[in-house]
Amino acid sequence: MEYPKVEFFTTRAKLEAGREQTVDVLIRITPPALSLDHRTRPNWKGRPDLNLSLVMDRSGSMEGEKMIRAREAAMFCVDLMLPSDRLSVITFDDRIEVLFPSEPVTNKQAMKDLIARVTARGSTALHEAWVRGGLTVSERMVDQGINRVVLITDGLANVGVTSTDEIVTQSMGLFQRGVSTSTIGIGADFNEDLLMPMAQSGGGNAWHVVEPDDMQHIFQTELEGLIAQFAHTVSLSLIPADGVRIVDVLNDFDLTKTGRYRLPNLQAGSPFDIVAQLRVGAEEAGSQMRLLDLRLGFTPQDAKQAEVLKQAHTIEFASATVVENSPVNDEVIKAVQFLMNACARNEAMKRMDAGDYAGAEAVLGSALSATQAACASFAAMPAVMEECASLQETSMSLKDRLKDKMNRKKLAYAAYTRQTTGKLDQ
Amino acid sequence: MTRGVLKEKGGKYVGLPEFARVSGQLVSELQLEQQRGTVTSVPDERTIRYYLAEGLIQTPEEKQGTASVFNYLNLLQLLTVKKLQAEHLPIRKIRELVAGKSEQELETLLGVRGPSGKNTEAKRYLESLLAPAPSAPPIETAAAPPQQLDASPHSWQRVEIEPGLELHVRSDYAPPATTGKTRSLLERAIHRLRRLRD
Repeated sequence: MEYPKVEFFTTRAKLEAGREQTVDVLIRITPPALSLDHRTRPNWKGRPDLNLSLVMDRSGSMEGEKMIRAREAAMFCVDLMLPSDRLSVITFDDRIEVLFPSEPVTNKQAMKDLIARVTARGSTALHEAWVRGGLTVSERMVDQGINRVVLITDGLANVGVTSTDEIVTQSMGLFQRGVSTSTIGIGADFNEDLLMPMAQSGGGNAWHVVEPDDMQHIFQTELEGLIAQFAHTVSLSLIPADGVRIVDVLNDFDLTKTGRYRLPNLQAGSPFDIVAQLRVGAEEAGSQMRLLDLRLGFTPQDAKQAEVLKQAHTIEFASATVVENSPVNDEVIKAVQFLMNACARNEAMKRMDAGDYAGAEAVLGSALSATQAACASFAAMPAVMEECASLQETSMSLKDRLKDKMNRKKLAYAAYTRQTTGKLDQ
Repeated sequence: MTRGVLKEKGGKYVGLPEFARVSGQLVSELQLEQQRGTVTSVPDERTIRYYLAEGLIQTPEEKQGTASVFNYLNLLQLLTVKKLQAEHLPIRKIRELVAGKSEQELETLLGVRGPSGKNTEAKRYLESLLAPAPSAPPIETAAAPPQQLDASPHSWQRVEIEPGLELHVRSDYAPPATTGKTRSLLERAIHRLRRLRD
């Protein structure tokens, strides 16, 4: 089988000799792109079979634009699926209905007709609906395919089990038994402190739909991610060489029982960025040093056995003049800055929660000026312009108390995307 | 109902009439007839010949004398074609879906595979999340009449919840260990109280 590509980048290719220093290392893991022939399975269609359950909130607050867009997105999802995939749709308010049980996606029109009839009403029995969705998936487990529940809601769980800890623990429990969970929160009134950890522990993705119009795009991204899934149960360990110390990993990963970083599923052809800050002792010019050993564990989508990829990174030391005259790697500067901004967003969120809005604004303000300074030589790069605009916009709207809930979600999801999903440019 | 198809696994059908008879039975058993449609619902010999010519059913290689011997895969192909026709899919699309598919894939398309006793670990887990706490006694025995309390070897403690409402707790009673179980207990208590009031 083809292994992911692992690359190490430092701000400059060589390190300055003769002094102890802190070094930012960008580690980029790129799984191979999907191709029709690289797998040995005889009936391989170029992507795993999907076994999905859409669990849709139809509580009263969904009424209007949100319900319309959610229906459209669900129908769009039907359109993207193949007859070899399975789909069920569960709707919930205070009651839970199986709109249709898990079925092969052969009669798309009939499925869409049923979805078209879903209208908003009642309160939010989120937990039981999620369990019911999981059941429809679990009854038809596809061994080497993707078994997933996609929960779509705009509200707070207020019927049945409502404890965040309990639901998040269960989501992880279900993932360990082969069914993953993604969550799509719509608008400003859902509980991001439930939906984000639920997806993170559940081995899926957390999405925030700011405007109902974004729904279709997010559905598409979710489905494309499923189709392109290269490996699951991914873990990473970084072992520093003698004389090297890991000061920090700027991403935000949960730890496995054995102390490794738990990474999200790897997607074919889609790079995953991690930044580690290392403290490295003084070395002589011209000498080479092994900085890090990387160990990446993963289970390929079409296999049952876990694979391990090991790779070491060695770096050369040179005189200060040589290092200063060598080119700077913008990608490393950007990755470090964007991950620091993610930390700033989390910090701003904490201050908001404590009622310190001026403090939150100051944190975002300094993140903005730090980004402008660090990325000055490539300020026209679209990702940099978007990052600055996002920091500025959120920072400015912090004065408006009516925007609190939405601002908190924007901060939370922006930090999550960068730190946890390893996608720095989104 | 769906078992009928799976029972045919490994089956051989000598000659068109036999194949038409068996598949006809299964078509009506699976209710694959097209509702208000133009397509004949029971696959007669002529229809099967048409499907063979169109490549919707693989031409059997095995022969007995002059008669073709159809197999389980051919049967699944025919049934899947019928099912997809009943869903008003065009022949071109149906050919795309059926061609080159294995028995297993066709069973999946037909929807006859599984639950196949698939009491998966995930399923058992989820069911446990829905089920009330297993250690809890059923509702009917939850509130024993007072005379039985006296007969019990255990001692009982009375706790006043609010004026007019008391809880009787047996000495060996252990309160629920998890929030989920506590909640399920509370729900049962509320349910009992409501029934008293009615």
